[in-house]
Amino acid sequence: MRVQRGKTWLPVALLFLFLVPLLIMPFVAVFVFAGRGGLGAFLEVLTHPDVQFALRFSILIALITAGVNVVLGTYTAYVLTKYRFRGREALTILVSLPVAMPRVVVGTSLLLLWGPIGLIGRLLDPLGLQPMFAPAGIVLAHLFVTFPYMISSVRPVLEEMEGTYEEAAYTMGAGRWKTFLHVILPALRGGLFSGSLLTFAHSLGEFGATIMVSGNLRLRTQTAPLYIFAQFEAGNIEAANAVAAVLAVISFVLFFGLLRVTRTRRREA
Amino acid sequence: MGVDEPAPRRRSCLRLGRGARLLNWPLIAKRAALAVVTLALLSYVVWPWLPGLGGPQVRTVVVYGFSILGEAMNEDVFPAFELLWRQQTGERVEFILSVGASGTITNLMILGVPAEVAILSLELDAWRLVDAGVIPGPSWQELPHGGVLNRTPFIMFARPGNPKGIRSFADLAAPGVGVVHPDPLTSGGAQWAVVAAYGAALRETGDPELAHAQLLGVWQNVVAQASSARAARTQFETGFGDVLITYEQEALRDLARGRLNVELVYPRGTILSEHPVVVLERNIRPGNREVVRAFVEFLWSEEAQRMFVAHGFRSVYEELNVENPHFGYIEDGFVIADFGGWQRAKEEIVDGIWRDRVLAEVGR
Repeated sequence: MRVQRGKTWLPVALLFLFLVPLLIMPFVAVFVFAGRGGLGAFLEVLTHPDVQFALRFSILIALITAGVNVVLGTYTAYVLTKYRFRGREALTILVSLPVAMPRVVVGTSLLLLWGPIGLIGRLLDPLGLQPMFAPAGIVLAHLFVTFPYMISSVRPVLEEMEGTYEEAAYTMGAGRWKTFLHVILPALRGGLFSGSLLTFAHSLGEFGATIMVSGNLRLRTQTAPLYIFAQFEAGNIEAANAVAAVLAVISFVLFFGLLRVTRTRRREA
Repeated sequence: MGVDEPAPRRRSCLRLGRGARLLNWPLIAKRAALAVVTLALLSYVVWPWLPGLGGPQVRTVVVYGFSILGEAMNEDVFPAFELLWRQQTGERVEFILSVGASGTITNLMILGVPAEVAILSLELDAWRLVDAGVIPGPSWQELPHGGVLNRTPFIMFARPGNPKGIRSFADLAAPGVGVVHPDPLTSGGAQWAVVAAYGAALRETGDPELAHAQLLGVWQNVVAQASSARAARTQFETGFGDVLITYEQEALRDLARGRLNVELVYPRGTILSEHPVVVLERNIRPGNREVVRAFVEFLWSEEAQRMFVAHGFRSVYEELNVENPHFGYIEDGFVIADFGGWQRAKEEIVDGIWRDRVLAEVGR
């Protein structure tokens, strides 16, 4: 896109006019309330064992979620674009539905499936297996909720990719796997990177489904967003906002990295 | 993007051609720094889960409690018992408490959360555990004091100076009063509050119609319904409404520290809530039976009951209640047994009057 030159102040001022109350002020409020008790209180909250656990646990869950969905999402996008089969369109729509589904519904349906009284959970319970109210349940919920992000980052690249490269690879005697590894995967790098960051960020902030399936036990299954909610409900607004500020900074750094990477890639292209 | 690939290979060729050097030192340094930072962050994150590094394994007991219980348990009762257990057995035990609205935590237990002990806001939720088959029968009734751990009366919080002049539940029905009330669907405290407002009028007038009118008047003025008593208080503190109906205990902690920024209103008559302890036998982890039994016994010890008094709960041992000078005077204090117990009160008052009539009349 061509960069507009000349009078920039008017459109920029207009942008700020609505961005300030809509986006910027809520962010500022998080930091204002986080710091209301002073730096000492802020650090005291962050070094509390519950907070340390919640932050580490959230990041770990997000890493696992992103790691699994990078593989599953890419594979799904690959099959959906490169193969033609009955029900492909329906499946394409289905895999993007989790975005629109209320998170609470995701949580309850997982409970009714995997919980101790659920359809599958009932069979697992006598074996001593209980995925719900455990880290496994949280990962299941996050995999479901973030499934579409990887696909939507990778699919446009796969669709735009000209078949000629692949065909060339085949004529040179490469198999499907070799072609994927040396031709398709390098092209997907940008998509994989942004997809996994999006997945990571959404998992880090996930609340609605997590509160249903986690049991919300401190030092066991309490993620950072659940900690924030519990503290806010209990009236500890500074503690809630201190953790929220940390999450906001992590997300900022992530998306800043995403921006930098996509920019350098675009320049190279 | 994506059409002119494969990019990486071409990029390296370009660089060779332009810079004519094989090793790009600044780039390598940057990548190495990035890798070190990433590795450091990663090890920080996974540290507690690394085998053998996560600290010594301690026995843990999982307790679920209703919303206002957190401070009393985490600050005093658990540490005291952990110390006692260590002195008696030499073993470390750690309690993990999850607090939430009584109805919410009950639903979670029905769905299977691994709670070993639950402290609920009202016996009704304990009966729901029986109905769902989580516990075989009303086993809490065999505990001391019929399972009742402590009590607290239902009172009102008004804004400083009480600008709306609220003195009784009847005043809540006045036009222009905004009432913050927890949601009876999930909150135990909310069901106590319904019985408090209805029961106070019934005992004063003896007329069920007048009592119904009082409850209706209150509910016509409800401006916010939070999921739990604690959440309702947070709502009130963030500026919602003119008056909050809640547990007296909620105020006493702040009152004792001189930090209370609301005015307490004690109605002439109100209910004293009773909070049952439920042991979920089927959830008790192997080897925890002994410590759970000892803990439940400890809850009714004088030591623990004194802690509850210090945190604003009224003890089941009447003589301990003089120790908290902040307990307010209630002329006509009543309990749920005066209405035939919770099962009957639920059917007749919460469902029969509040849900079926009052809710319909206020059009919610």
